[in-house]
Amino acid sequence: MASSVKYLRVPPNSGSLEEARRRVFEFFKTACRSIPTIMEIYVLDDVVSPSQLRSTIASEIRKNAHVTNPKVIDMLLFKGTEELNLIVEHSKQRHHMLGQYVLGHNLIHDQGNNDTSDFLQKFYKGNYY
Amino acid sequence: MGLGHLASRALLRSSRLGASKPSHHLLRRTVVSTPELHNSEAAAAEAQPEPDLPKRTPVAGARVHFPNPDDAIEVFVDGYPVKIPKGMTVLQACEVAGVDIPRFCYHDRLSIAGNCRMCLVEVEKSPKPVASCAMPALPGMKIKTDTPIAKKAREGVMEFLLMNHPLDCPICDQGGECDLQDQSMAFGSDRGRFTETKRSVVDKNLGPLVKTVMTRCIQCTRCVRFATEIAGVQDLGVLGRGSGEEIGTYVENLMTSELSGNVIDICPVGALTSKPFAFKARNWELKGTESIDVSDAVGSNIRIDSRGPEVMRILPRLNEDINEEWISDKTRFFYDGLKRQRLNDPMIRGADGRFKTVSWRDALAVVAEVIHQVKPEEIVGVAGKLSDAESMMALKDFLNKMGSNNIWCEGNGPNPNADLRSGYIMNTSISGLEKADAFLLVGTQPRVEAAMVNARIRKTVRATNAKVGYVGPSADFNYDHEHLGTGPEALTELAEGRHPFYSTLSNAKNPVIIIGAGIFGRDDKDAILAVTEKIAKNINAVRPDWNGLNVLLLNAAQAASLDLGLVPESEKSIESAKFVYLMGADDENVDKLPEDAFVVYQGHHGDKGVYRANVILPASAFSEKEGTYANTEGCAQTTVPAVPTVGDARDDWKIIRALSEVAGVNLPYDSLGAIRARIGTVAPNLLQVEEREPAVFSSVSLRPDVKGTIGKAPFGSVVENFYMTDAISRASKIMAQCSALLLKK
Repeated sequence: MASSVKYLRVPPNSGSLEEARRRVFEFFKTACRSIPTIMEIYVLDDVVSPSQLRSTIASEIRKNAHVTNPKVIDMLLFKGTEELNLIVEHSKQRHHMLGQYVLGHNLIHDQGNNDTSDFLQKFYKGNYY
Repeated sequence: MGLGHLASRALLRSSRLGASKPSHHLLRRTVVSTPELHNSEAAAAEAQPEPDLPKRTPVAGARVHFPNPDDAIEVFVDGYPVKIPKGMTVLQACEVAGVDIPRFCYHDRLSIAGNCRMCLVEVEKSPKPVASCAMPALPGMKIKTDTPIAKKAREGVMEFLLMNHPLDCPICDQGGECDLQDQSMAFGSDRGRFTETKRSVVDKNLGPLVKTVMTRCIQCTRCVRFATEIAGVQDLGVLGRGSGEEIGTYVENLMTSELSGNVIDICPVGALTSKPFAFKARNWELKGTESIDVSDAVGSNIRIDSRGPEVMRILPRLNEDINEEWISDKTRFFYDGLKRQRLNDPMIRGADGRFKTVSWRDALAVVAEVIHQVKPEEIVGVAGKLSDAESMMALKDFLNKMGSNNIWCEGNGPNPNADLRSGYIMNTSISGLEKADAFLLVGTQPRVEAAMVNARIRKTVRATNAKVGYVGPSADFNYDHEHLGTGPEALTELAEGRHPFYSTLSNAKNPVIIIGAGIFGRDDKDAILAVTEKIAKNINAVRPDWNGLNVLLLNAAQAASLDLGLVPESEKSIESAKFVYLMGADDENVDKLPEDAFVVYQGHHGDKGVYRANVILPASAFSEKEGTYANTEGCAQTTVPAVPTVGDARDDWKIIRALSEVAGVNLPYDSLGAIRARIGTVAPNLLQVEEREPAVFSSVSLRPDVKGTIGKAPFGSVVENFYMTDAISRASKIMAQCSALLLKK
């Protein structure tokens, strides 16, 4: 299973925005397909569900929704593939996953309402900023 | 241009510089029309070549004060001339000249013993080296500090001292900050000749604060002199003679002074060390943060030594105007309370009466919802005794925006006089007490209320034989005093001039009256203040050049709260309150609160206030935040964060700022700088950090006449237990041991 993603090749540059967009979807699908493996090797069953992880991946991708330059998208795709590769290869440890994609993701959701001031958002985050 | 020409030019230059210097000098000063004044003597003095020494700076910034310019004498230290006033010792002259003389027994603030002999220097025409700490400097004395004789003398003294000193530096708590260690490295020999067995001395039990390893003692007697002179207890003394000499309590006895911890600092070796700090850390792994003490209203300057997130110890910092170089035992040892009973998460009391941890978002939302459901006049805010000025400003602004003006600081009583600043601060200033020659203490026991102020009074009494009169319950003093009475009737007698002590006060040049903040809680407070002001007027204690009418406050927050105008609108507001915001207030009487009142407790310790609270908002303690505190003399100082906050706690002002936004009444400041600018519009003196701003008007001339009558009730003692007065010291284990062992029963 892991080997299927392990030898992912970095494709040549995308010619157009449409091609880059298609590649992002492909990457998203690859990532989603590796979720069961990830759940298994990092023992995430009791902390997070596959659908939550899927939305985490989606929101990580959506963070860069404003990028329109195909070259930049290719670069981000490369970094994403690299990250996915590391995760699937078990190069990370469980707390990395928890911190980056389980808890960190929840925090992002926590800040959803934007009517609070900068001060209050920082206040909720911690005493030091 | 040939070589000859160059040589002649060089010759010319050198001759001009050397031989013709006096004439050159005269030429330069042609403006002077009487050249005969420049007689040969003056010219010779001028011509004398300046000693070829680099300009020296006095040791530790020592400054010379000439009380009478005629008394200046000149001595030479290693050939370097210094001008010093008559009566200075050789050692002080050397300090002014920038030469640090090694010493063990000599201490600036103690009497001179002259028994360690480490400060030996050579003086010209003296047959033997002299002990510089005890020898007065004489005019023209030629002192030599680095001659072979002086060096040999020090080496010899060092060898004698080390003869009976154990070689246990690796397990000694003084290691790294030990005078003996440092000086034996600098002045000692590389070997000793002592082959017999070292003497050993039985350790003494001095109580829960001072650990003794008496074998390490070098008999400098600093601790004995400190105890008798500064602390005013006759507990310590020297027993035996010669090699049998020991420091100890004469009989098995604990040291019961409130300043006993200072013997740890003045001990030059590891004989007296801190018991709570024993084997906890090494001094080189500690981070020092220069901060302010909040355990009383004195605002002693302290250094908080921390390792990582933990406060390891507290040491005094030099401030001549406030605490000199001493601190009280409570200041020094209450730090372990910062680790116990801490509130670290926001909590809400559930229906079952148990607290449940919630997020900040939920806690603030609940408080904001409740505060909108009560009537504005039913909202009450109480600032605690450890609150800083920033958070009190924020709390007042927040509650005012909510429509309530019932906000006060605990300890100020129901109707505080915040109108005139001179009516609640120590107008004489703490260091100014030294100029006084008669004291009248009204309902205050400074020894337990403000130990450093008491030390200042004791210093004055010792130096000038000032008379002290005391009105209040029988109390423990460590200087001579006259007990004038227990109740206010003694004050009436003084005001009418009938009391025998009145003549002492009226004959005094600089009389001082100190009123304790304990009377703020009395019903007849205004009448007592009025009669005290009458006494002050009669004995001429308030003049343009001298203001001797003082109030001695109890808590660190009090002066700033009155500066900021934290005065409740109605006296009975707590009985009808529906929403109470306790900002670290633990000693407010919450029993009178209605059953259905909603209590928010914001603070750092789970102390008395928490028992009644519905919501807990964890805040940071004084060691974790930057805050402004005004001390009892009105000097604003700031604390500096030494360690990070505990758990999910936030700084006090930030909590109120965040709550105000959640409640929809946004406070207009986001940063410490902005909130200080806001303080500047209310009380600009709080921004004059580390600079005492005296009160402008005197309350004597401006206060309206008071109609109330003086009650019959005697004055009470305000501080029942010196070691436990606030949330931090009540949580401290060391303070608990102290109150169990040291309080006089």
